[in-house]
This record gives sequence, structure tokens and C-alpha cells, in this order.
Amino acid sequence: MQTEATLAQADVSELDLVRRCQAGDTEAFDELVTRYRTRVFGMIYNMIHSEQDAWDLAQDSFVKAWKSIKRFRGQSSFYTWIYRIVMNVTIDWARKKQIKPGGAEFDDAIQPKEIDPASKTVPKADALPYETMERSEIRARIDRAIAQLSPEHRAVILMKEIEEMQYHEIAETLGCSIGTVMSRLFYARKKLQNLLRDVYENI
Amino acid sequence: MKTFEEKWTAWLDGRLSDRELAEFEASLPDKAAAEAEKTEVKKLGALLKRELGAQALLNEEFFNHQIREKIARESTGESRKREVEVSPWWTIRRLLWTGTASLAVFLVMAIFVMRDKNPAEQSQYLTQILNARVDPVVSPNATISMFETKEDQVTVLWTEGLQSLPADYAAK
Repeated sequence: MQTEATLAQADVSELDLVRRCQAGDTEAFDELVTRYRTRVFGMIYNMIHSEQDAWDLAQDSFVKAWKSIKRFRGQSSFYTWIYRIVMNVTIDWARKKQIKPGGAEFDDAIQPKEIDPASKTVPKADALPYETMERSEIRARIDRAIAQLSPEHRAVILMKEIEEMQYHEIAETLGCSIGTVMSRLFYARKKLQNLLRDVYENI
Repeated sequence: MKTFEEKWTAWLDGRLSDRELAEFEASLPDKAAAEAEKTEVKKLGALLKRELGAQALLNEEFFNHQIREKIARESTGESRKREVEVSPWWTIRRLLWTGTASLAVFLVMAIFVMRDKNPAEQSQYLTQILNARVDPVVSPNATISMFETKEDQVTVLWTEGLQSLPADYAAK
């Protein structure tokens, strides 16, 4: 009950922030950005696998949200609404950029997160170098597998598995039917199962 | 829910009602294989959640700062746009006023010029001579001929039989 009350309070507070934004209060919008920036950035990064582009697209999404916040009627939650903007911006970008499986973006040779196991900058408290390397390799495998999905399939699997969104929320975010969401989820899972079976079976 | 894919997904995610669940599981040819796949999908979900779930955003305050700046720029741009949107009307009104005023000035000038030009078309001197021709008392045998070449702006007045010309008549 306490959790529900807290959630309700948070929702009211969020709605209040949205109302203030609609009245032109940029500080209220700054608060909303603070609440969602990490999730929005993470979602975009997982879609496109480029930190710089994810940063830019997250910025664009928030600026678009600010420009159209007067049209937000509160019929859905704010995060569903902002995710819709985020997905539109990201999928449009991905289509224009035409990210193809095995493209340069996912080339092993230019992995920005590759960490030198012998690096002196690795803090002692962190994971051991071989563990870090293993995690890095796993991450690269996952990124390559996700890159083989279409932007729409990527969006559905990430919203379901990472954001734990409900079917109807995903449908609302992507502007499609619940049946389409379930169908895309089916094919996205099948593809990832084929590509990552050895990874998740050996963990 | 119609297609197999939809039913399968709902079954994996535990979204089927009791009746739908019973119907779907009864329709499965190999329930053990289906259960094994369900376990696989859960492992896949856990892997994705673990590896992709915690993507950190560095320089968070700078992220907000950049958005604030972009919004401020957008607002300035909007204000300028609004000004630009107003100015065409203002320009059109000004053009209309300028056009009307110019037309009025032109008409006034034209009237003045025409009024001024008509008397000058025929000089007072010529009028006197032409009048003199028709006065049989002053010049009973007078004949007057006039030749005019407009291109060269030359007028030749040929008079015969005039008794006299008034001394104070001077061509202008």
C-alpha cells in the first residue's frame, strides 16, 4: 500500500510538473529531463550503439517533447508519451542511417568500450581484467545480435525486456496494435535465441 | 488473439487467461519442448536485462544544460519567427499606403500639368493673329497659313495682307 501511495504521489507530482511545463516553466521540464534522461539515453544507446549519436538523439527527443508538451493530454503516462517521441526520433534516424547487420558501427575493430586488460586506469575494486574482457565480449555479441534486427523489432524487444513495459504501452509508444507488438516480439526473440543461445546457456 | 505467434508470445509472458492457457497448452504437440523454450526465453531476457539494463549517462548535468540552451534558442527563434510573421502584414499595409499616396500625388501633379499645358498649346500671339484674320475691317485681304513639323518642333506662320501687327505683341 505504501508503495502504491508513493507511486500515486510520484504520478501526481509528475502530472504537476507536466502542467507547469505546459505553462512554460522550463525548470519543471528540467526536472522531468533529470527523471528520464538515463532511461531515454540507455534506450537509444541500445538501439543504435553509438554514444555520441545516442546523446544527440536523446537531446533532440527532449527538445521535441518540450515543443509539443502543450499537446500532452495526460491520457497516457508521461514516460509512454516521451518514449513515443524517443522511438520516432530513433527509428527515423536508424532508417535514414540505414544501419545494416555487420555494418561499421558494430565492427569489433572500433569498439569504443574495449578495455585494455593491462590498463593502469582500471580501479582495483573493479572486476578482474579477464572478467571485464569477457563482459565486454558478451556485450559486443549482444550488440551485434540486436543490430541484426529491424529498428521496429529492436524497439519492441528492448521495451519489453529492459524497460519491462506492458504490451499495450509498447503498442501505444510505437503507434501499432497489440497483436503487432506480440508478433514482433515473437520474431525478435526467435532471432536472438538463435544468435545468442551459446551466450545465455553458458552463463 | 488469433495468430500462433501472438498466442505463443502471450504464453511465454504469462498473459493468457485460464481458459486460453488450457486451450493453448492442449494444442501444443510437445509441451516439454515448449517449456524448455520458455526457459530459454527467460534466460535470454535475463541476459539482455543484465547486459543492457545499466547504460550510464555521463555528464548528466551538462546533458540538462545543453537541453536548456537548445530550448532557450528555440524560444528566441520562435519570437523572431512571430515577428517575421507580423511584419509581412505591416509591410503590405505600408505598401498600400505608399502606393495610394503616390497615386494621389501623381494625380494632383497631372491635373496641374494639364491645366498648365493647355493654354500654352497656342500662344497668345497666334490667337491674336488668327483673330485678326477674321476681322474684315482691320485686314480685309489677309490670309494666314501655318505649317507645323512636330518631330522637329518647328512651326512656320505665313501671313499675307495684314495691315499691321501690334507692336506690343511678342512671341513667347
